[in-house]
Amino acid sequence: MKKILIFTSLLLASMWSQSLLAASNHLVLTGSSTVAPLALEIGKRFEKLNQGVRVDVQTGGSSRGVNDARMKLADIGMASRALKANESDLTAIKIANDGITIILHSSNRVANLSDEQIVAIYTGKIRNWREVGGSDQPITVVNKAEGHSTLELFLHHFHLKNSQVKADAVIGDNEQGIKTVAANRGAIGYVSIGTASYDAEHGVPIQLLPMNGVTATIEHVRDASFPLSRPLNLVVNGKPGELAQRFINFARSPAVTDLVESLYFVPLEH
Amino acid sequence: MSERLFAMLIYLAAASIMALLFWILADLSYQGWSHLSFDFLIEEPANAGREGGIGPILSSTLLIIAVTLLAALPLGLAVAIWLAEFTRRGDRLGQSVRLSLDVLAGVPSIVFGLFGNAFFCIYLGMGFSILSGGLTLACMILPVLIRTSEAGITAVNDAWRQGASALGMSKSSAIYHILLPAASPAIAAGLILGIGRATAETAALIFTSGYVDRMPESLMDSGRALSVHIYDLSMNVPGGDGAAHASALVLISLVVLLSIVAQGLTDRYLKRRLMV
Repeated sequence: MKKILIFTSLLLASMWSQSLLAASNHLVLTGSSTVAPLALEIGKRFEKLNQGVRVDVQTGGSSRGVNDARMKLADIGMASRALKANESDLTAIKIANDGITIILHSSNRVANLSDEQIVAIYTGKIRNWREVGGSDQPITVVNKAEGHSTLELFLHHFHLKNSQVKADAVIGDNEQGIKTVAANRGAIGYVSIGTASYDAEHGVPIQLLPMNGVTATIEHVRDASFPLSRPLNLVVNGKPGELAQRFINFARSPAVTDLVESLYFVPLEH
Repeated sequence: MSERLFAMLIYLAAASIMALLFWILADLSYQGWSHLSFDFLIEEPANAGREGGIGPILSSTLLIIAVTLLAALPLGLAVAIWLAEFTRRGDRLGQSVRLSLDVLAGVPSIVFGLFGNAFFCIYLGMGFSILSGGLTLACMILPVLIRTSEAGITAVNDAWRQGASALGMSKSSAIYHILLPAASPAIAAGLILGIGRATAETAALIFTSGYVDRMPESLMDSGRALSVHIYDLSMNVPGGDGAAHASALVLISLVVLLSIVAQGLTDRYLKRRLMV
């Protein structure tokens, strides 16, 4: 019993002293779960190049990233969307691009949908693939949960409100969306192009629909010809500290291109 | 005939439960086995978790559980003793504590996560840390731990209490030497339920112990738990499925191992005092 007490008090003592030492060379990033794996890998490489520096990455969604940056709870926020009009007090710095694509099950005969048809499907006016040239099969509409920037980007592009969407399934993340569509022959959903093209190449039964005649490829996101694309941003409030500025410069440099590509995002042009 | 049918249905139910468990394990092993090795257990994750191992994540998970148990066990046992031995049947205060515990036991874990984030991380200034995560989980498992331990202590035969006081034992030594050891199976059961719930927790930990997958240097460091790692790999990282399945196998083994250890320790420390 005594041993446990001594051990516990030593542990407590050591952690308070440690926490006091940390502060000055310590960066905290919070926000978008899409950007987080990328920021984590960039952070690790940054730590290797800068001895003694620590980069902590936390998730919770783009809105949280914006909020934490504004309240200075984080040194840098992460958002997988552009800043909104009421967020103009903050500065967004792009580190990569991501495109959103409509996905169908690979057995679906439909190879093209106009914007009007997609809106009609998502508002429940078209309920069977027969009506858009497919086989006689009911449509399963897969939508994203509130708080995800993919949802906001999708709604913004098609001029929809979330309350108008008649969804059969509501999903959280990209991989979950792909799994839902891959398991349902009548499903339609929308996810990141990077994730979708990786999974499609690796045998997951999905197909990526072209938008306005532009095929959904990483190249078309990079040259901005694909209609549904979004920036991956770091968000700061005012002038970032010296260390935060160095991290941002590093995240925008060619030194992280391979990391961006390994997560199927589209790197900045250099 | 109907008797036979009934028996068949009962057997069928048991068999389907076994089949379900077997299916889960088989699916996990099939997809994760090739990833699993000793190196996987000790190496740092690389390439967003798709390569490398889960060394730091396993350490963080164990530290989080240690904090949880260090905080929840003494407090939980004390409240259970108070409820069982220091309140009369039908006592207003005791009843309202029981009711609030039962309500707390049914609260979704994400609520505990948001509470933990607001209270431990921000208000008490612990930030994203293993300590915040462990304390949040302690709040979450306390209700189950208290209610099962209380039931165990209450169930001890009254003759033992009377015998203890006839021998002139004080209330505290009767509790320490007789009631707690006699209730040890129930306490162990509560502990195992708590450990299971804590180890499997994802929602409450994303907002408290966080996402950082570095080897933790102190309890004030943010550390990613196994369940958060599995969630991130399967939901946010394309191509992370293999590592996710392997991590899930490790997580299941960890729960089994911790349950056996908890059972063994409670048996050893509490039953030894009871000379039966």
